[in-house]
Amino acid sequence: MLSEIEVVSAKNLKDALRVLHDRSGSIRPIAGSTDAIIQLREASLQTKQLLDISGLGELRYIRREGSVIRIGALSTYSDIIESDALNSSCRMLVEASRTIGSLQIQNRATIGGNLGNASPAGDTIPPLYVLDANVKVQSHENARLVPIEKFFLGYRKIDLKPDEIITEISFEAVEKPYDGTFLKLGLREGHFISLVSLAIRAKWAPEADRFSDVSVALGAVAPVVLRARRCEEYLKNRILADDTIWNAGKIASDESSPISDLRASANYRRAVIPSLLYKAVDNLIDSRRRSQKP
Amino acid sequence: MDRQFSFRLNGRQISVSAPPAHTLLEVLREKLDVTSPKEDCKKGECGACTLLMNGKPVLSCLVLISQADGAEIVTSEGFMRDGSPDHVQKAFIENGAVQCGHCIPGFIVSTEALLSRNPSPSIEEIKKALAGNLCRCTGYASIIRAVQQAARKD
Repeated sequence: MLSEIEVVSAKNLKDALRVLHDRSGSIRPIAGSTDAIIQLREASLQTKQLLDISGLGELRYIRREGSVIRIGALSTYSDIIESDALNSSCRMLVEASRTIGSLQIQNRATIGGNLGNASPAGDTIPPLYVLDANVKVQSHENARLVPIEKFFLGYRKIDLKPDEIITEISFEAVEKPYDGTFLKLGLREGHFISLVSLAIRAKWAPEADRFSDVSVALGAVAPVVLRARRCEEYLKNRILADDTIWNAGKIASDESSPISDLRASANYRRAVIPSLLYKAVDNLIDSRRRSQKP
Repeated sequence: MDRQFSFRLNGRQISVSAPPAHTLLEVLREKLDVTSPKEDCKKGECGACTLLMNGKPVLSCLVLISQADGAEIVTSEGFMRDGSPDHVQKAFIENGAVQCGHCIPGFIVSTEALLSRNPSPSIEEIKKALAGNLCRCTGYASIIRAVQQAARKD
């Protein structure tokens, strides 16, 4: 079956965009191909032509410009894990990348591919939701920026036309008084798919006992990643007592709409959301305490 | 339709003709007679097809041959020294880390990659580096001992 597929290996972005334009709708781009090859074998992806963009070095970078971090779509999870810029000003994306697949997968799979594959369990997506990231997509004629929440239209549906490529993800660096973390629950350490994942970004109030601003996103509990806005509203400016955090978790749980599948039941997923939120908030409190020590 | 691809394989420049969407794993095993990478799960879960591509461990069942064009590929065979096992391979044999043996070439490659970037890993670091390799004979304890011995180079 794979024998009949033609592969065009793009030499540069311009070349890739021209091929996509000329063969629009009949050719499908692939990058790290850690999902695409499996989908081709299982026939959930059907195409006779692949455009391999994995060799485009110009889309593989992580850099900081002022307060903005820009990640080229072909950056691998290993690139993210090893990035000084991200380790110092967006640890949640590093934490998320560390949990994705094995080292072998992290060395190939790309952040652009995670968005393009659009699984509701895609682990870089909840961090990008709380970061209010922008997705840059380019075609032969055009380039546009799409806010991350507008990029995901529904279950495995994204705002990307057949002649477009995801080229860059950008967001504001997470720095004091902001902090953020990512947590996920799975069945084993090393290449597991999230049962539930959670990203949080919060701004510490000067009193240091509450958040003056907070964003929470949940993965794998709805057709697309979900911003738990009622939970955020509840947490904001409330002293972070145990009860408050548990209540916020219950609210987030009510906002989710998980399904039952072979990995976990809907009830289980709903039940663990408060625990994940509790652990995430605890992580932020801990990290604040550690940073205040002389 | 076949196309011509060339890359370095275990230190030798080679050229091979293959359908561009065949996997690197298929081409190695079926056209180049390099059979240490094994085809098991074919979905990136078992690690039996692990090899080094440009110095990093990857799964050859999830790399197209066209993506390997121009790359530097090293399989378990490539670590042999003059036809004999190197210190990592020896450590696996000496610690009884090889039961049925099917998963071992993948473990060897992951171990070589680990030790080249971290010559004295902790047990936790070993477990982490090998988390993408599954052994169904449940030989993990002896595998970890083998990696520790290889790290000591004795």
